[in-house]
Amino acid sequence: MAQAALKNTSIEEFEKKQEWWWAAEKRRSSRLDYLRKAIWKKGAIGGLYAPGVKTDLEQAVLTTNMARSLENAPDPYVVKSAKIFAHVLDNKTIFITDHAQLVGYTGSLPHTMNWNPSIASILNAEVFNDPTSIPDPVDKNQAVIQDIVGYWAGKSDLDKMMPVFDMEDMMKMLSGSIGWGVPLARGGYSNKDYEYLMTGKRAFQEILEEIDKKIDEADELVHTPVANKEIALMYDKLNNWEAMKICLEAGIRIAKRYARLARIIAENFEEDPKRKEELLKIAAACERVPAHPPRTLQESFQYDIFIQMMSRTEAIEGAWPCRPDYYHGPYYDKDVNIDKTLTPEEALDLVGEFLIRAAEVCQFKPKFAREGLQGIDGTWVWTMGGVDANGRDACNDLTIAFMQAARLVRVANPTFAFRWHPHVQDKVMREVFECIRHGLGYPSIRHDPILIANAMHWHGHPIEEARLWVHQACMSPNPPTKHGYQPMRMANATANCAKIIEYVFTSGFDKIVNMQVGAETPDVTTFKDFEEFFAAWVTQMKTIFSILVRSVNRARVLAPTLTPRPFLSAISERSVESGLDTLDPSIARGNAWITAFTWVENADSLAAVKKLVFEEKKYTMAELKEALDKNWEGYEEMRLDFVKNAPKWGNDDDYVDSIMLRCLDECAKFSKEIKCPCGNNWPILPENVSGNIHYANIVGALPNGRRLGDALYDGGISPGPGLDKNGPTAVLKSCGKIDHITQGRAFLLNQRLSPTQLAGEKGYQLWRAYMRTWADLGLDHVQFNMVDDSTLRAAQKDPEKYQEVIVRVAGYSAHFVDISRKTQDNIIQRTVQGLG
Amino acid sequence: MATCKECKNFFPLTDNPAKGDCVQRVVDPRQAYYKSKPVNAEDDAASCPSFQKRS
Repeated sequence: MAQAALKNTSIEEFEKKQEWWWAAEKRRSSRLDYLRKAIWKKGAIGGLYAPGVKTDLEQAVLTTNMARSLENAPDPYVVKSAKIFAHVLDNKTIFITDHAQLVGYTGSLPHTMNWNPSIASILNAEVFNDPTSIPDPVDKNQAVIQDIVGYWAGKSDLDKMMPVFDMEDMMKMLSGSIGWGVPLARGGYSNKDYEYLMTGKRAFQEILEEIDKKIDEADELVHTPVANKEIALMYDKLNNWEAMKICLEAGIRIAKRYARLARIIAENFEEDPKRKEELLKIAAACERVPAHPPRTLQESFQYDIFIQMMSRTEAIEGAWPCRPDYYHGPYYDKDVNIDKTLTPEEALDLVGEFLIRAAEVCQFKPKFAREGLQGIDGTWVWTMGGVDANGRDACNDLTIAFMQAARLVRVANPTFAFRWHPHVQDKVMREVFECIRHGLGYPSIRHDPILIANAMHWHGHPIEEARLWVHQACMSPNPPTKHGYQPMRMANATANCAKIIEYVFTSGFDKIVNMQVGAETPDVTTFKDFEEFFAAWVTQMKTIFSILVRSVNRARVLAPTLTPRPFLSAISERSVESGLDTLDPSIARGNAWITAFTWVENADSLAAVKKLVFEEKKYTMAELKEALDKNWEGYEEMRLDFVKNAPKWGNDDDYVDSIMLRCLDECAKFSKEIKCPCGNNWPILPENVSGNIHYANIVGALPNGRRLGDALYDGGISPGPGLDKNGPTAVLKSCGKIDHITQGRAFLLNQRLSPTQLAGEKGYQLWRAYMRTWADLGLDHVQFNMVDDSTLRAAQKDPEKYQEVIVRVAGYSAHFVDISRKTQDNIIQRTVQGLG
Repeated sequence: MATCKECKNFFPLTDNPAKGDCVQRVVDPRQAYYKSKPVNAEDDAASCPSFQKRS
């Protein structure tokens, strides 16, 4: 929008037109406006990074040089890993942006995406083969990349793992047809032991002292005149503790480098006295944290940013598990309400900047991840609200400040997920609703009592720990506690579930990747009744889930020795205490889950087969198999019959809903038969990111009438777009038939609401009534898009004018213009639910 | 031979002047910032495009 038009239009006029992004731009402070516009757009668009965004070669070069220099060193592998980590932090380029009050970034410069070449050689090959993101001069840097790629071939974590995996499972998984990602300890979603780290009791220096004590005790033990198994294993623990120390000390040093840079700018370059003062405050914060616990809100945010930056130096992180209102809230209260060292407006600036610092984070990701997470770098789903360990309402003033800041800076990532419980105050719910009404697509709403019970049911977390849960990725709760926190959720336990029903028709042969992936169930035309058909479905489900889970389990038991995480261990109480790597299954309770992409297609397909083939006998199984083989070509009338005349999930129709429940029962039963190396269960969690688009060309024709190439449903337990014809209550009633505690780990539900209908106080009351029904029916999740079709269609036509429109894609939000046309259309197709 | 310590961008460490930081102002298409990278005082700066002789 032209500056003059922006200036001449009032905030109220923009809000009346629901052009919230312009209203936000006018409402936010000049600092936030500068910092918000300073963000380089890092999410891939159509699988490609935006012009100007470049792969950062600095970490790759530093990592490779240090690895080369350590090749003949006598250090154990974990110590070498820690030394490489420290070398990167000690030598990387750091920067401080004008007007910023918080510092720290994963890459070396604002427009870069960091690249750690020691993790996966297949990722390295993608860096080499993506000329659009290679920095200038391309020829010279391509040679640098070639050298790095060559060095790590055969040496990366994945290369070390591959020979010790089951090759058949790996080939099936890497075919890309049933899973998503690879099983690596340094590539996925790391939760953190926030109860150890963020409660003000300790920071890096205090942990170093704890480790020193442990080393002293161990040293004394190994030098007593005795020999036994404990002593034999103690040397590995000493190595781990040494590695942890190296990481923590490097973490303190890089913070001091930021402090020094802030002082250099203040003393040599900056002329504005106010900015000088801010820079000295940055310096003081970086001298304090992460060495010691924070004292102020700024220090608390700064501490968090450093931890995230270091974690992303060690690993590729696809998520950002945290609970910022809970852990930073006490500092907000102290600064704003008690000491009054910050005004609410100043605090809001810090909160907004904290969101911006997270929004700019980016690491180079493989193409499948870029396509599956269109428009964002990873799913930074930040947990808000909820209860404390004693079950009391944990919402605070910072919860509200986060909601307000989100509406000002309007970043698509991070997003929030709000833990609703019956004692949340109305003023908090209003703030939550305002974010949704402003079209952010977040917070998603989570049912706290249900999910606490669920965490206890599936993983045996004690209630005091279950109450502290955070989102480990988009959806799954995980307590950030000593034994409860899961150090890495490996993304490949993500099942492309539409393949279950597809393989029933192909006896497990995958025609897209041309290999036998599923079980060799009998020819579908031989089934005499629905029970035989359903039994084949169960066999295929168990086969697919087992392949994915086995590889994660294998990676988890190998991780402590082959791919350790010394930094993550250093900030984990159980590792500091035991001297074991944090991935060691013997010191964790376990919190595994199978993400179930493309799930609802199964219920709709099974219902269609049951009704039209076995009951009404309108078609033979041979005819249906033939039609699916031919991708419904030449069978359009029959296809429409399967679309229109078979019951569909989401309409409160017991025929199909009971099939959904039966499928979930079978999965729940099997979830307790398959175990993680910690001895715990593997429940399923139906949700999609943008997997419904990614898999469109990978899943063949299905009995719900879908053709190869058509977008799949948008995921979780959301009805197929446009197939929920009986209104929002029917959707809730269908979803409410599921037991959200015992039938799975969590269930994603997308809903679209009309911004016009939900305007004003009346709109809020309508939404509250809807939410009461949602809560009473015991659903664990719901999220909303509240942008109307006309705005979305206008954005398709004139994307330049609608750069800031945000939509909820699946478990995350994205700017509408950054997602593919197919995904855009899929969102528009979702039924707009009229409430009331 | 020009070395880093002769450059305006070089800021030596107080406790170890043989080491320091190269601090530069950058204005990119979206933001302005100061960046810093550790260097040695005696590093060869002859081919450094950012070298500015200290007066």
